[in-house]
Amino acid sequence: MNRIATALAAAGVLLTAGFAHADTLSDVKARGTLKCGVSQGLAGFSAKDDKGAWSGFDVDFCRAVAAAVFDDPSKVEYVPLSAEARFPALQKGEIDVLSRNSTWTLQREAELKLLFAGISYYDGQGFMVPAGKNVMGALELGGSKVCTQSGTTSALNAQDYFKQNKMELELIQLPTVDEVVKAYADGKCDVLTTDVSQLYALRLKLPKPADHIVLPDVISKEPLGPVVRQGDDAWLNIVKWSLYALLNAEELGISTASLDQALKSDKPDVKRFVGTDGAYGEQLGLTKDWAVRIVKNVGNYGEVFERNIGSQSSLGIPRGINQLWSAGGIQYAPPIR
Amino acid sequence: MRHRMMGAALAAVAALSFMAADADAQMRPPGGMGNQIVDVPEKPGYVPSADEEQLDPAFRRQPVYFRTNEPPGTIIVHTNERFLYLVQGDNRALRYGIGVGRDGFQWAGLQKVTRKAEWPDWTPPPEMIQRQPYLPRFMAGGPGNPMGAAALYLGSTVYRIHGTNMPNTIGMAISSGCFRLVNADVQDLYNRVPVGTKVIIRQAPEL
Repeated sequence: MNRIATALAAAGVLLTAGFAHADTLSDVKARGTLKCGVSQGLAGFSAKDDKGAWSGFDVDFCRAVAAAVFDDPSKVEYVPLSAEARFPALQKGEIDVLSRNSTWTLQREAELKLLFAGISYYDGQGFMVPAGKNVMGALELGGSKVCTQSGTTSALNAQDYFKQNKMELELIQLPTVDEVVKAYADGKCDVLTTDVSQLYALRLKLPKPADHIVLPDVISKEPLGPVVRQGDDAWLNIVKWSLYALLNAEELGISTASLDQALKSDKPDVKRFVGTDGAYGEQLGLTKDWAVRIVKNVGNYGEVFERNIGSQSSLGIPRGINQLWSAGGIQYAPPIR
Repeated sequence: MRHRMMGAALAAVAALSFMAADADAQMRPPGGMGNQIVDVPEKPGYVPSADEEQLDPAFRRQPVYFRTNEPPGTIIVHTNERFLYLVQGDNRALRYGIGVGRDGFQWAGLQKVTRKAEWPDWTPPPEMIQRQPYLPRFMAGGPGNPMGAAALYLGSTVYRIHGTNMPNTIGMAISSGCFRLVNADVQDLYNRVPVGTKVIIRQAPEL
């Protein structure tokens, strides 16, 4: 019996050693910075300026987590990663969280042993058309010449979609994105198809971006969100609820502009959010004002969206499917209580 | 409600004190999500150029994803976002960029379009005259009229959805009016919706 207990204890030690970095929050605090994996440069999502300062929708999520932990959104060490390098970097512990337009799939959780904390941006394949054509939706595209990049899932998805809806399709596949954009700009095709977020980025490369619209239809699922390693549930909770704090703030009407008013609010859900009622921050291993720190330093989800990729950015992506569930979209955060 | 009105008034005074110099400069809302009202005086008689009438792509009329239980043909205004949605059904809506006036923030809920008019006359309400005493007491409809190309009157209220002769105020929270669209957009909306159309105004939640 004793021997078994000793063996178990030893195994426990080994197990702990194996997960030497299972207390990510303590590591982050000891280091004084959050190591956040981002893309090497993607307009609106993560980009570095001349002075080396990072900004973007994905970058703001790194800043939100740093704000929750440190009350200082600048305490982030950005690790720019290629598509190939991003998951190994997370697995090896080179970063604490990955915030790099990554699609949530089964394989990435089950095989790569990672966990998605939530969906920060619902992406998916869409269609861009000249605004002057007065097309309202993708079902009106029958008989169109559609340009896309060859060898991508976009080509397959387009073929499936047109076939399923009994529409004629002339698919023009070109090897590079630049060739696709040029063919569309030159009028060699009526429609350009790829993921919606990319359509808005490509629109900026056209001579008159405002003369083109992206249709509301999304025909494939590319849910993007922050990712963590398996084995540290407490850290997963912190990353997950940082995202939910951004969303809940918007839903409750708490923004950088209204934060002072929110701190004086008598509404129960607002009081729980700002920490004047309950100990929700402490339950996460953070402080009472964890969510206030996020809004104060980064804003709410809507502010982050509009500033980086929405109506205040050159991309001008409509909230659309990423609007809150209560306002026309499907973004939905569980409540803080 | 009283708090919000006071806050708005204070914000307007603050804005006036340091923004008066460039009140008619090209301005976009700094926060987008805030309802800090910027004091932009009306410019009756001013006729904008075709260039000015071209909105930023983000504020142009476009079909967007929009999930709602309201039937097609319903107008839904999100004052906080500065967008007006005309529900099309099948999870989509036509979205128009708007400017929201002080009155546009005063009221939320359900109304109906009770009257439509093209190039309506303009009789500035007394509160507006008080703020901007130089305004005319009456101005006949036409280009240069702050009411713009069309107006949709809401219920028996003084609220309305109208055009504008100041296209650069789209996207802003401004001192006067209710909900304004550029003239091409308000004309488009006028042609699409009949009298009797359901109008839902959604404000930011109260804290």
